[in-house]
Amino acid sequence: MIEALSAMASVFTDPYLLVLIFATTILGVIIGVLPGLGATTGAALLLPFTLTMEPVQAIAVLSTIYVSATFAGSITAILINTPGTSAAAATTFDGYPLAQKGEAGRALGIAVVSSTIGGVFSVIVLCIAAPLLARVAYEFRPPEYFALTIFGLSMLASISAGGAVKNLIGGIFGVWLSTIGAERVTAIERFMFGNYDLYEGLSFVPVFIGLFAISELLVQSKMVNRVVNAVSLKAVKLPTKEDYKKIWKTIVRSSGIGTFIGILPAEGATVASMIGYSEAKRWSKNKEEFGKGSIEGIAGAEAANNSATGGAMVPTMVLGIPGSGTTAIILVGLMVHGLRPGAYLFTEQVEKVYQIFGSMLLANLMFMAMGLYAARLFARVSLVPISILWPIVFALSVIGAYALSQSLIDVWIALIFGVIGFFARRHGFAVAPIAVGLILGEMVETNLQHSLKMYDGQWWMIFAQPLALFFLVLAFLGLCGPYLYSLIVKRKD
Amino acid sequence: MNIKIYSIPLFLTIFSIVIIYLSLQLETSPEMIVGDSMQARSFPIFLMVINLILVGVLSYQFSKTYPKEVELEKFPTWSSMLLFLVFYILVTISGDLFVAIPVIMFLMGMVWGQKKLWVSLTNAIITPLSVFLLFDYVLQVRFPRGWLTNIYYG
Repeated sequence: MIEALSAMASVFTDPYLLVLIFATTILGVIIGVLPGLGATTGAALLLPFTLTMEPVQAIAVLSTIYVSATFAGSITAILINTPGTSAAAATTFDGYPLAQKGEAGRALGIAVVSSTIGGVFSVIVLCIAAPLLARVAYEFRPPEYFALTIFGLSMLASISAGGAVKNLIGGIFGVWLSTIGAERVTAIERFMFGNYDLYEGLSFVPVFIGLFAISELLVQSKMVNRVVNAVSLKAVKLPTKEDYKKIWKTIVRSSGIGTFIGILPAEGATVASMIGYSEAKRWSKNKEEFGKGSIEGIAGAEAANNSATGGAMVPTMVLGIPGSGTTAIILVGLMVHGLRPGAYLFTEQVEKVYQIFGSMLLANLMFMAMGLYAARLFARVSLVPISILWPIVFALSVIGAYALSQSLIDVWIALIFGVIGFFARRHGFAVAPIAVGLILGEMVETNLQHSLKMYDGQWWMIFAQPLALFFLVLAFLGLCGPYLYSLIVKRKD
Repeated sequence: MNIKIYSIPLFLTIFSIVIIYLSLQLETSPEMIVGDSMQARSFPIFLMVINLILVGVLSYQFSKTYPKEVELEKFPTWSSMLLFLVFYILVTISGDLFVAIPVIMFLMGMVWGQKKLWVSLTNAIITPLSVFLLFDYVLQVRFPRGWLTNIYYG
């Protein structure tokens, strides 16, 4: 415990990390306020820049981008009615109406405070829950890991964008992508079409840059004629005593909801903010104010979306199962820097783990300062013309895709997946399930192979393992539960 | 019957069938290597069978309600994709990412509605140059040799 706390505290006394997190927070807030960029695209673009860093510094950069961009989405949501990230969509419901009433500073102050409390709360939960879960995960064998990854894939059905079936199809496509290259046991070449650059499989980084950054570039092309009506802002105001009295219960409730939703594999900040907002409305004594500038609405959405960031890091670091597109990129960052996510990370690299947690805590405090003192300045960044912004994203994407393996094939892979991602999104398929499927694909196949070897080919023995059965039942309920429930309700009616 | 409704399920079905066919063409490993585990072809086939079931459910859903497609500005979207192709050709001819990137950045800026030529041009020169210097000096990434990088690397 003392070792963990001192590792966390070391982040606050390391000048290099302090400067790095400060600079990354600024960058994260800029990325968050630019409509279309967001935490996932930002993390995908920045991943190549972390290559020469130490593992803790690299993950600190990625997780700082995650928390600060998630928060910053609220700045544009309040000031220009355009959520910088999808997680801030619920903030527009009350943030913009309040800003239109001439209280933009108050709305931003409440968003900043709620986000910080939510974020800090979730990091504390992360510090407590992750080692406990790691102790359980330490006992996992291939059948349990296989069942767990199936559970993770089944949770894709409930990712906010797309629909359940479409997300599962995306996930299956991602898992199939992981089979490209030489099969690990037999070395038989699968779907390589004679291209030996693919022998070790598709690299995650170019695929992610394509899916998240380049496809977003193509999607953003519909914004060419966008007209932005910005609300004026004089200064950000901290909530008053009266405000605190009104919102503290909402912040506590939404922080809990957000953290819990974040912990669920494949759920994320967007779902958390929507549920946080609707729960704030349900419990409020002033329901009629919602949609017209309710400060409880802003607090409910903001505390929930930022607390989901810490929660989402739990399955990512302990089980190697990412909860969203951004955590999928952080997971790749861990792997690229030699930190294999899982229970062993908490026994063999415990100091690094707590330094990462410490840097997340620091990032939460830093974006509070930025939000309070520089929101006005950052809001202006969102007015950068897209004809300047997106060519820059193109350059960063191409160079970033090349940088990891220094191979031109990765550039072509990024462009191809950009186009695939665009067409997928155009027809209502989210790209995050493809990314999560690609990461989990190897785990599914390898653990299934090992399980079959363990039980001499008797696959049904997987169901005889209590923990594995538990995860498979959860997966079944996750997939079929809503349909079964609606069937029961229909019968009752 | 509206055929457009079924175009996506049809595409996904063809894709799944092609993958199953390609998987069946894969070699099989001797028993002594695979043992009680599965052949290399089994897993992709298993995935595509699940995919086909999901496509069936999707077709049923589409027959009830067909979702809206994402609206897009036709000219900037398609021309951006065309620019990716131009980028590929330029890299292939020049061998140099830093010849192709500024050209594409400049053209993309114009296609996306930038009316001031000098703004697009400045962006197309300064951004790749600063990113190149950052990657070269700080991250020590070597870029492929081509028209410009040959001059720089000597």
